[in-house]
Amino acid sequence: MADVVVIGVGNRMMGDDAVGPIVIDRLAGRLPETVSLIESVGDATHLLDSWRDARLTVVVDAVVSGGVPGSIHRIDGKEGFPSSWRSASTHLIGVVEAIDLGGAVDMMPDELVVYGIEIDKVEPGVVLAREIDAAADKVVEMIAAELAVVRSP
Amino acid sequence: MTNAREISVEYLARVEGEGSMRVKVVDDKIEHVEFSIFEPPRFFEAFMRGRPHTEAPDITARICGICPVAYQMSSVHAMEDAFGVTVGGSLRELRRLLYCGEWIESHALHIYLLHAPDFLGYESGIHMAADHREVVEQGLRLKKVGNSIVGLVGGREIHPINVRVAGFYRTPTKRELETLVPELEWARDAAAETIRFVGGFTFPDVDQDFEFVSLSHPDEYPFNEGRIVSSKGLDLPISEFNEFFVEQHVDRSNALHSQIRERGAYHVGPLARYALNFEKLTPFAQEMAVEAGLGPVVTNPFKSIVVRAVEVLYAVEESLRIIDSYESPPEPYVEYTAFESEGHGATEAPRGLLYHRYRIHGDGRIADAQIVPPTAQNQLTIESDLRVVLEQHLDLPDDELSWVLEQSIRNYDPCISCATHFLDLTVERG
Repeated sequence: MADVVVIGVGNRMMGDDAVGPIVIDRLAGRLPETVSLIESVGDATHLLDSWRDARLTVVVDAVVSGGVPGSIHRIDGKEGFPSSWRSASTHLIGVVEAIDLGGAVDMMPDELVVYGIEIDKVEPGVVLAREIDAAADKVVEMIAAELAVVRSP
Repeated sequence: MTNAREISVEYLARVEGEGSMRVKVVDDKIEHVEFSIFEPPRFFEAFMRGRPHTEAPDITARICGICPVAYQMSSVHAMEDAFGVTVGGSLRELRRLLYCGEWIESHALHIYLLHAPDFLGYESGIHMAADHREVVEQGLRLKKVGNSIVGLVGGREIHPINVRVAGFYRTPTKRELETLVPELEWARDAAAETIRFVGGFTFPDVDQDFEFVSLSHPDEYPFNEGRIVSSKGLDLPISEFNEFFVEQHVDRSNALHSQIRERGAYHVGPLARYALNFEKLTPFAQEMAVEAGLGPVVTNPFKSIVVRAVEVLYAVEESLRIIDSYESPPEPYVEYTAFESEGHGATEAPRGLLYHRYRIHGDGRIADAQIVPPTAQNQLTIESDLRVVLEQHLDLPDDELSWVLEQSIRNYDPCISCATHFLDLTVERG
């Protein structure tokens, strides 16, 4: 298990919901080799397995909280999540639920950071809206900067 | 004075959007029951038109995050039917193994995290974990056994990428498969324990005269192959699906409802497979089913959770059998040539029969596609169950009534069940 994992949550066939996996694509080759990049549809149990042994986990997911599409939220897992947050990942037990469940069964990483990219709605499609595409680029830069300074403990 | 009760359960508009339940009761008479689900995967059918037929497994796998293997399997079988390809021997066995993995992970998730909380009085699996941590941990570990199979044979746990028309891109060695054995042996005991655990729940007393529909194969509990049979006498090759089953409008709803032509509702999924294939289960799975109080046919939809647990045990034992007798195939796939044709495929997704049909151009591109998922086929049956459950529980206050109605919907593990934590309940009284 890698020390640091970055998980992009979403479905590539569901329009803006693909933003998590697309961030993962764009991060390839940009991070230290010790960081593993994982794509997930957001199934809570897959998330738990992906991050349980990691020291630091960064999750990127689309969210629908009524904000401006393309706006970026960065949330430290220790601070908890706004109640308006609903992970928009397609129809599985999602990221927020995975965090609650992971807490209950002690399957959380030491540190968790979640990037939420605000989207308008989830509907089938294979192209990101322009503002979501731009937000994906920004998040890639933010994660690359954040993880460039990560050193082994 | 009229006393009207309306219960409507709307799901947050997400991907599939329209999943909802509406119930209206006036003077203790049921006026309206409607259960709607997302539109069948029309987007995917349209998206595939004009694309190479070889892309169908990967594209359709993305329709559902929890049963990608089912979509891959129905699509590859349809293509192989179109081009007259037969996939046998170890390749066929590997497909069964992959499907076992998907049943284990999907059923374990549903039993432990989605449905058991209904029976034990918890709002969700997360709430249940606070009091029953070891139960939830067992469910997670069992699910992981399924994930590991899908990861090894399918190439990736979620959206497996190793499946192709006529076989696989790469086949595992026996040694690789054997790494799964220790956890599968644990899972055999855990699955038996699961049957005892869920068999001890209290079940609402509902008995329905379902027409069960599933695949049936002469030698095996069905995954990939067989004829489509029903408990009321249907027996047809997969290629005749559209001659016997149809999506029609019903008066109360705008949505199309799957029906048997000139007959009406039918039931696909674990209860149907079990009723039509009981004798094909392993002896241990049959024995455990009997110990849990099940007969060879189960007509109480609330007991589907027990039948799912029996199917988990079957899938674990079948996995062990396949790994034990496995020999690497000489080639990972069968050579074939595409030509203008039409093909049909139906396999048993965890939730029931999943039918695909494709027409292919002479150059191998897809001319048109049809996908009929299990939840769409169960829609009318779910409504019929809601009516019965409602009649029996009219004396309950709205919140408890709503609980048992939602529990009733989850008997079918509908694709929307995962989204139920977004339920937004409105109750109106006249």
